[in-house]
Amino acid sequence: MSAPLVAPQPVPQRADRQLGSAWLAGVCSGLAAHLNWPVLVLRIGFVLLSGSMGLGVLVYLMLWLALPLAAGAPKAPGIEAASRSGLRTVEAGYRVPADLGAMSAVALLGAGLLWFVQSAGLGLPTWALWPALTGTAGLMLIWWQADHIPNRSMKGLGGWRRWIAPLMAHWSRIVRILLGLVGLGTSVTLLVIALPDLPDTSQALLALAIAVVALLLAAAPWFIRARRSLSTIRQEKLLADARADMAAHLHDSVLQTLALIQRQASDPRAVSALARRQERELRGWLYGETSDAATVKAALVGSAAEVEDDHGVDVDIVVVGDRELGAELRPLVQAAREAMVNAAKHSGVSKVDVYAEVGDDAVEVFVRDRGAGFLPELIPADRMGVRGSIVERLRRAGGNATIRSAPGEGTEVRLEMKR
Amino acid sequence: MTDQPTEETTPDRPGPAAAHRVVVVDDHAMFRSGVKHDIGGRVQVVGEGEDVPTAVAAVLRAQPDVVLLDVHLPGGGGVEVLKQVHAVEPEIKFLALSVSDAAEDVIGVIRAGARGYVTKSISADELVDAIARVAEGDAVFSPRLAGFVLDAFSGSIDISAVDEELDRLSQREREVMRLIARGYAYKEIARELFISIKTVETHVSSVLRKLQLSNRHQLTRWATDRRLV
Repeated sequence: MSAPLVAPQPVPQRADRQLGSAWLAGVCSGLAAHLNWPVLVLRIGFVLLSGSMGLGVLVYLMLWLALPLAAGAPKAPGIEAASRSGLRTVEAGYRVPADLGAMSAVALLGAGLLWFVQSAGLGLPTWALWPALTGTAGLMLIWWQADHIPNRSMKGLGGWRRWIAPLMAHWSRIVRILLGLVGLGTSVTLLVIALPDLPDTSQALLALAIAVVALLLAAAPWFIRARRSLSTIRQEKLLADARADMAAHLHDSVLQTLALIQRQASDPRAVSALARRQERELRGWLYGETSDAATVKAALVGSAAEVEDDHGVDVDIVVVGDRELGAELRPLVQAAREAMVNAAKHSGVSKVDVYAEVGDDAVEVFVRDRGAGFLPELIPADRMGVRGSIVERLRRAGGNATIRSAPGEGTEVRLEMKR
Repeated sequence: MTDQPTEETTPDRPGPAAAHRVVVVDDHAMFRSGVKHDIGGRVQVVGEGEDVPTAVAAVLRAQPDVVLLDVHLPGGGGVEVLKQVHAVEPEIKFLALSVSDAAEDVIGVIRAGARGYVTKSISADELVDAIARVAEGDAVFSPRLAGFVLDAFSGSIDISAVDEELDRLSQREREVMRLIARGYAYKEIARELFISIKTVETHVSSVLRKLQLSNRHQLTRWATDRRLV
């Protein structure tokens, strides 16, 4: 929509793997995002590189281990807390449906290349080819599982079910890991069979070494994950301290409000104003509705909050889209505020609806109440309120204000500013 | 649970004889009793739930017309209740009721099958009305949800990605959503657009369907990217 909304995508500092658009492990997608290259170029590049003694596959596998998974943006504390305590269901990330055509084309290219290289005698010798193929397939199957382990909670189950439940829930994964291990095993067996004749002991030792290496490789993602989570924990500790201070501060503000409410219990308007203000503050902190007043939305929400506090009414505000608050839009925000104040003061009802739409070429604000209403043509010319502060102000700034009202039908002020 | 005779009725809605059977699901006992107190005279509260298992059990036992469902709930959230109940009884209707304004979660319950979303600050009259609407199979959009929808379906998508009818709102649907966001009741929208209330309801239901079925990448990404008021 509006240009400022679609911020130029920041190039990630470190490359990572993006499972959302992955065919396999997201290495190419991650690199493509990092280098700003088309992803298909990278994919074909890896396949072509694999033509020379499987180099592409090796590099791919190394990058698979080396690049961390793309982490989602940190959430606001309230949402994080709700996720942790299981109050919400975290949906699996959305996957871009893979383009089957492109996928099979690249796969065919790879297969054709493999066949060509092998039959031209430029590839791996036959004794190494089959172990390499089965081993790679097994390894990928296992590593793929490591990337896709959901953290489903098994809490709350007791007795034997606690031990069986994870097996039941993950049976398909377990089967796939077993399959992967079978692939690795085949590869190791083939390699051992192909070993040149050596004395028995060294042959056995060599076979053992190969098996150990294969197992270590299979377990590599888990080792790496454990190492990464250690450093994450260290960072989180620092954050937690900062958050504890914040929570203490928040606690104080809520307690303060509760005390004020008790003292003013006889005045319902004051109580509800206090409660709303506190609710706003708390919600802003918990759900990350932080407002820096530099955008249209923040400015409007801020004005609505002030009007709520000053006049003891509920202002329900919905803003669609957003844009930086330039000097040309300030009159619009001021006029909107004035309209809210008018509604709060004169409508006689305690609820004002505000809707703003920030579009590409226009910003529109509607301020509506269901109160007393009036006949717009009956406003005396000398009354400043509506005419001076809303209609005229906006017109001077190049905008447009229309007022719809009738006695008993409420009032709606529509403010518009074209780009 | 209770079977109180009901005195008050809202005009143009079914009378006490057809009072809607409602299950209230919320993890705060205080809120549950508050809701029962507010609307208990006009609908029949036939069950309560405080977390996912108790909610699912209560709903399946009581077979209510409408379930008032909190978005955040121990055991996996309202989404989990929706999934488990709909796996057995796809016909039971849900109305999400929440203080949570995280757009992601609101869109989440709607996509899981809730037929509407209202905030907990809703007045008792409006809530009864919303329950009746949902019970009749219509959708209930609060101004805030309408705002989310407009944002999610806004023009910020590249046109090449929009190839399905599901992925965009028709002109009329946009108008209806905008009026809801402006705080108009269905009746007022009908008058404003010179259409019948039934047509307004049809438009809203159609938007709900799009919201639930559209597989648009932007919709999901939008929900995770943005935290809107």
